[in-house]
Amino acid sequence: MGNLKKRMLPMTAVVLATSLVLGACGKSEGNESASGSEKPVELIWYTIGTPQKDVNRVMEEVSKYTAEKIGVTVKMNMIDWGDYTQKLQVMTASGEPMDIMFTSSWAFDYVQNARKGAFLEIGSLLDEYGKGIKDTLDPAFLEGSKVDGKNYGIPANKELPAQEVWRFNKNLLDKYNLSMDGVYTLESLEPLLQTIKDNEPGTAALAVDKNYKPYVPYDFIIENMPFAVKLDTTDYKVINVLETPEMKQALTTMHKYYNAGFIPTEAATLDSLTDMQTTGKWFSDKATTQPFADNLWSQSYGYPVVSTPQSESLIYNWSVMGSMQAISANSEYPEKAMEFLNLLNTDPVLRNMVDSGIEGVHFKKTGDNVMENLDESKNYDMPTFSLGNVMLTYLNPTDPENKWEEFKTFNEQGKEAPLLGFNFDPSKVTTELAAVSNVKEEYWSALMTGTVNPDVQLTKAIEKFKAAGLDTVLAEIQRQVDEWKATR
Amino acid sequence: MGAIGRFFKDLNRNKAMLLMVLPASLWFLFFSYLPMAGLVIAFKQYRVSRDGFWASIVNSDWVGFTNFKFLFSTNDAYIITRNTVLYNVFFIVVGLILSVGLAIVLSEIANKRLAKVYQTGMFLPYFLSWIIVGYFVFSFLSLDRGVLNQVLANFGVDPINWYSDPTWWPVILVVVFLWKAVGYNSVVYLAAIMGIDRSLYEAAMIDGANKWQQIRNVTIPMLKPLIIILTLLAIGKIFYADFGLFYQVPRDSGPLYSVTNVIDTYVYRGLKATGEIGMSTAAGLYQSLIGFILVVTSNAIVRRFDKDNALF
Repeated sequence: MGNLKKRMLPMTAVVLATSLVLGACGKSEGNESASGSEKPVELIWYTIGTPQKDVNRVMEEVSKYTAEKIGVTVKMNMIDWGDYTQKLQVMTASGEPMDIMFTSSWAFDYVQNARKGAFLEIGSLLDEYGKGIKDTLDPAFLEGSKVDGKNYGIPANKELPAQEVWRFNKNLLDKYNLSMDGVYTLESLEPLLQTIKDNEPGTAALAVDKNYKPYVPYDFIIENMPFAVKLDTTDYKVINVLETPEMKQALTTMHKYYNAGFIPTEAATLDSLTDMQTTGKWFSDKATTQPFADNLWSQSYGYPVVSTPQSESLIYNWSVMGSMQAISANSEYPEKAMEFLNLLNTDPVLRNMVDSGIEGVHFKKTGDNVMENLDESKNYDMPTFSLGNVMLTYLNPTDPENKWEEFKTFNEQGKEAPLLGFNFDPSKVTTELAAVSNVKEEYWSALMTGTVNPDVQLTKAIEKFKAAGLDTVLAEIQRQVDEWKATR
Repeated sequence: MGAIGRFFKDLNRNKAMLLMVLPASLWFLFFSYLPMAGLVIAFKQYRVSRDGFWASIVNSDWVGFTNFKFLFSTNDAYIITRNTVLYNVFFIVVGLILSVGLAIVLSEIANKRLAKVYQTGMFLPYFLSWIIVGYFVFSFLSLDRGVLNQVLANFGVDPINWYSDPTWWPVILVVVFLWKAVGYNSVVYLAAIMGIDRSLYEAAMIDGANKWQQIRNVTIPMLKPLIIILTLLAIGKIFYADFGLFYQVPRDSGPLYSVTNVIDTYVYRGLKATGEIGMSTAAGLYQSLIGFILVVTSNAIVRRFDKDNALF
């Protein structure tokens, strides 16, 4: 008897569950053809950043505006910085309904996910509904973000080249009467760091976390993987950057600095520098700049920050794809999504509403294109660069009048990095790449932060990379680079 | 007719019982059995397609066993398998001895109120997430501010850079794991001890058994079925490592990988860059297959010696 009971149970469960599943399937089709009429369609938008309290409130206002202009309403979902890549990867893979999503070279990788089919190819949509975008956006953006010759996303109009700088905490600079003049290379920092080390215990002379990589004049194929070509290359030879004299020298210097106590002892496992930046207990660090970045940094930290270049300004793949919006492959309303993106990138009213919130609640206008944050703005503090054309956003009172002209000049002055426009397709070497990633994780941070001695560990790392199949990946990259070069 | 009639009759007679197991059965069906269909992804190069998840699966290309290759392609395969299995064996054996031991000690404490306090105290770490435990450990092991290095300094020993020296990590990981898990398991055993018929102890006492003899001849034999079941279940998971323990607690520090890299962290680190779902599915399938084989084998062994205590 008891046995019979046991056997019945799964059967009942199966019967029940099947009926449930069937029921659910029956419902999903249907109500599609309602478009075209007056009723606005809802666009689902996923974007990066710490979720803000007032998102729904602002989106209500945004929806009113867009419903009138182009017949769409907007539902925005924010996903926090650290979670964005993984969550979106799962959501796109499982076919979660969405229309627009943020993508970039550094979060929810654009090229890789375009290849996986997550985004809609937007070439024809752009011609038909995105004319405004084509007119305002520097053509280098759309050209540089092509994957296998096709566009899958709309880059934000912002700074185009990337330039590495040394940033300094100006309070400390002034206190010890130090000057940034003559600082350019990593080595040239030494006397300044020594002064801080000797006089300011508890302050990181060179603030470095586990994401740090010293500047070397190479264009990387994949961010933080050792494959690269030299910036002034003529033969486009792809090499292991760890084997270059520049990297060796940089790592040796880093290790010297680490031993001298210039670098936080826990650098190799430090997730971010946020704590140091909040407390001001740092003297210098490495950052990527844009025009008037010093103002931006000073404002956000609450104390003056100044910077001086440590590299040329170059247009890289990753800087072009630093912030993009793509249309989901499963979007129900791709045309409307494109119309919306077009409006977002051309209409200052919409762009600023999305960026700063509701006028009179979150901000107030103090001039034609100048605004000031109100108290409520803390409930709607958005990452400006991630939401489309930056050059439409209103200026802060401290910003110079000619801010966006300076951006344009900055963009025009940027030289092209050798691999601009080349995107590596890893699908033939995924096995090797998985093994190489593991080796990279094992050695990279410890080496880059100077925690370990490169004389010993660099050799070991290079050997282990080789054993993991680095040469196979290099050969595949070389093949693709050569092919790409031939078509240019 | 007869069979169907009997089915419904049986259904009706047992409806209370059936209703009680219904939620769990549904849960298993939806979250364990239905998703198994997704295992085909392990043999495909998964690509998103317009019409949703099922269409994506169907439209993706078959790639045979390519997705499994990365697990075995380097020397790391040996290291991660060794680490995963050895740590788990250690956790199972030492964890078992400690939890049963603690459970017995707790049950023997005369002051019941105090026993509850100890029990709760040991139970609490179980509820902490590994991230928080990771920071606890960091406060002990930090190079310049860590408790341990300061203690060492008092004894005139040079500070140790714990996060780049793998020597001590096998011990640290075992200690941290046990600290977190033992309290919980001992509560399970304690409950079983509480359920043992008191008259058995009375009989033992009348026969002149001392405490030690009572424990050896009454408590442990009575716990044996539970010990076997829990151990069998643990063996089924021997190819799964606790990701939080091996990733968060060593702060993902590269120089420690030789002793902290396990299958789960290897898969995570390997696929972070490419995000190939097919490959992670392959790894999961491989782990569960080995786990399944191990459970069936160890169960067969148990049945050989002690038929009543086997799982199935």
